[in-house]
Amino acid sequence: MALEEPQQKRQLGHDEFDPVGTLALIGLYFLVLVAMWLFMYFVEFLGNDPTVVGSLVTGGVV
Amino acid sequence: MSTYVERFPAEAKVIRSAFYVSFVSLAIGALMGLLQTLHRTGVVEVFGEPGTYYTVLTTHGVFLVIAFTIWFLVGVFVWAVTTSLDRGVENLRLTWGWYGLMSFGTALAGIAILAGFVDDWPVVGDISADVLFTFYAPLQAHPMFYLGLAIFIVGTWIAGADWFRSWWVWKQENPGERIPLPTFMVLTTMLMWYIATLGVAVAVLAFLLPWSLGLLETVNPLLTRTLFWFFGHPVVYFWLMPAYMMWYLLLPKISGGRLFSDPLARVVFILFLILSVPTGIHHQYLDPGISEGFKFIAMTNTMFLLLPSLLTAFTVVASMEHGARQRGGEGRFGWLKALPWGNPTFTGMALAGLMFAAGGFSGMINAGMNINYLVHNSFWVPGHFHLTVGTAVALTFMAATYWFLPQLTGRKLFSRPLALVQVVLWFVGMTFMSNAMHRAGLLGIPRRTAEPWYDGFEFEAGVGSVGELNIQIALGGTLLTLSVAIFLVVVIGTALNGKSSEIGANAIPEPLSGPEDSPLVLDNLKLWTVIAIVLVVLAYTLPLASIIDRGGLLGPGGRAFPMSLDTLVVLAQLATEGALSR
Ligand code: HEM
Ligand SMILES: [Cu+2]
Repeated sequence: MALEEPQQKRQLGHDEFDPVGTLALIGLYFLVLVAMWLFMYFVEFLGNDPTVVGSLVTGGVV
Repeated sequence: MSTYVERFPAEAKVIRSAFYVSFVSLAIGALMGLLQTLHRTGVVEVFGEPGTYYTVLTTHGVFLVIAFTIWFLVGVFVWAVTTSLDRGVENLRLTWGWYGLMSFGTALAGIAILAGFVDDWPVVGDISADVLFTFYAPLQAHPMFYLGLAIFIVGTWIAGADWFRSWWVWKQENPGERIPLPTFMVLTTMLMWYIATLGVAVAVLAFLLPWSLGLLETVNPLLTRTLFWFFGHPVVYFWLMPAYMMWYLLLPKISGGRLFSDPLARVVFILFLILSVPTGIHHQYLDPGISEGFKFIAMTNTMFLLLPSLLTAFTVVASMEHGARQRGGEGRFGWLKALPWGNPTFTGMALAGLMFAAGGFSGMINAGMNINYLVHNSFWVPGHFHLTVGTAVALTFMAATYWFLPQLTGRKLFSRPLALVQVVLWFVGMTFMSNAMHRAGLLGIPRRTAEPWYDGFEFEAGVGSVGELNIQIALGGTLLTLSVAIFLVVVIGTALNGKSSEIGANAIPEPLSGPEDSPLVLDNLKLWTVIAIVLVVLAYTLPLASIIDRGGLLGPGGRAFPMSLDTLVVLAQLATEGALSR
């Protein structure tokens, strides 16, 4: 059994191929990254635990 | 068109032999991984004495990220060079020579580590190397460990010379031709490796080995740490570049398409060559004794290093999409359904790539100088690199094995469904383990700790509980170990399987945009090497000078841990006694 299975229905050359699906996926990844960064803000600054920055801001009280 | 083993039977044997060492290392490493997860989550108390944990952790780290990965990739590189130049190695003796050196080095270092499981050996006394894969001073290993490491690395250097030689001879016979892409990837990776290993060679040969032999009283820990990370960051790309190579060469082929762009692939490998090394200090953001300015430069270089990975994401996904559309896929997302998800090589690599995208996020957190403080040395960090080296690289290598083994043996893959289950199981297990490790790290749970529980203090989780995290980690680790076991079953089953005539040809489809579209300057390896060296000099001269200036070449002093010089003392005693009694 061959492990590669082209099963090609058509041949697309360099000029006929427009990677819109790739653009869509990468755009989605970018949005996820931005959302995660925003979320990180909450983890870093608004968490309950003292972190390096947190303890500075609160003067080491918390 | 023939399979690899039909065309290059002798080389196929070399590659198989390298792969088998790699898989044995994987098996040992994975077993240790299981013990760690169970013990440090408190699910099963595996070790009576917490000290044993460090022997286990060192075994896990070294066998997986030094032995498993590098043994696999040298095999892949032999395949890439011989296939793309369409010529066997120049001198089979030399090839077996570096194979032998690497084996000898692996055996020495491996024995030194595993010997740590026994307290006192007859005759030779105490041998151990519980120094973790980062072997920082003042942790000290038996000299055999450092010696093995050095010999192993020299073996890889000679392997690189072997590939350069193949290319050189090919070039004389094919003047004016572009370097074939797979060979180009091997050569740029090896150039990067030569520069990177200089750091560890100096650290080991000039400081750590003489120190463990008792020739040097002390070493400067910050200096040897910095030299370690000079190597320790680029080694990451030494693992990753072969994985990328598989994504560039095998994924498009198996997806039924062609690589989107040869020039882009070349640019990516050149960027790795020039940017991999001058970034190592980003592992030392919390090291006192290196000024913030140098750390900032390392951070800037690191952020530039995201570029080639993002370029790779684009090129590889576009190549897969090309395959999917040739197979009749339609729509903005619908083409994903036309991909060959039933093929374990494809699915494994695609899932590895997906996990790598998640690792990209936690990597960006690690890379930021300020936000790194939040996660430094916490469980987050192993969470991160089990996505990168532990999945993007490891799962890609395992998936690639399902394509390689039939090529290298002429035997049919033992069981495709089992292979498919294996790669999916890895993905599921890692999702549990890595995600929970990240979260545990945010609570402040430390890495490299046998029993992270303390009197009068408890970690508090904002969401969920520490117990829930521990269960996820233990569950994930168990699924991962099961996945490795299945992998080994498929490998052994294939090695014992019958010969088959239906194995596809060992051929790589032409890229959509070929080498004729890439500027000639991309193949100017000398130019890129010089630029790489200049960047390293710029990034490291001042930090190293200031470290040596402040702490001295041999450091301010201090005690090594543990004192593992017993062996030498005993051997010296035996030698003198022997001499006297004669
Ligand atoms: C069976 C699968 C695996 C399991 C269950 C597992 C589990 C673990 C755990 C729990 C730790 C953290 C220990 C601690 O910090 O106290 C760890 C560390 C580590 N793992 Fe894995 N792992 C697995 C596979 C891998 C793979 C495939 C790689 C790389 C190819 C890898 C590389 C590492 C490295 C480099 C460390 C850090 C060692 C150190 O801190 O010195 N692991 N692993
Ligand atoms: Cu790094």
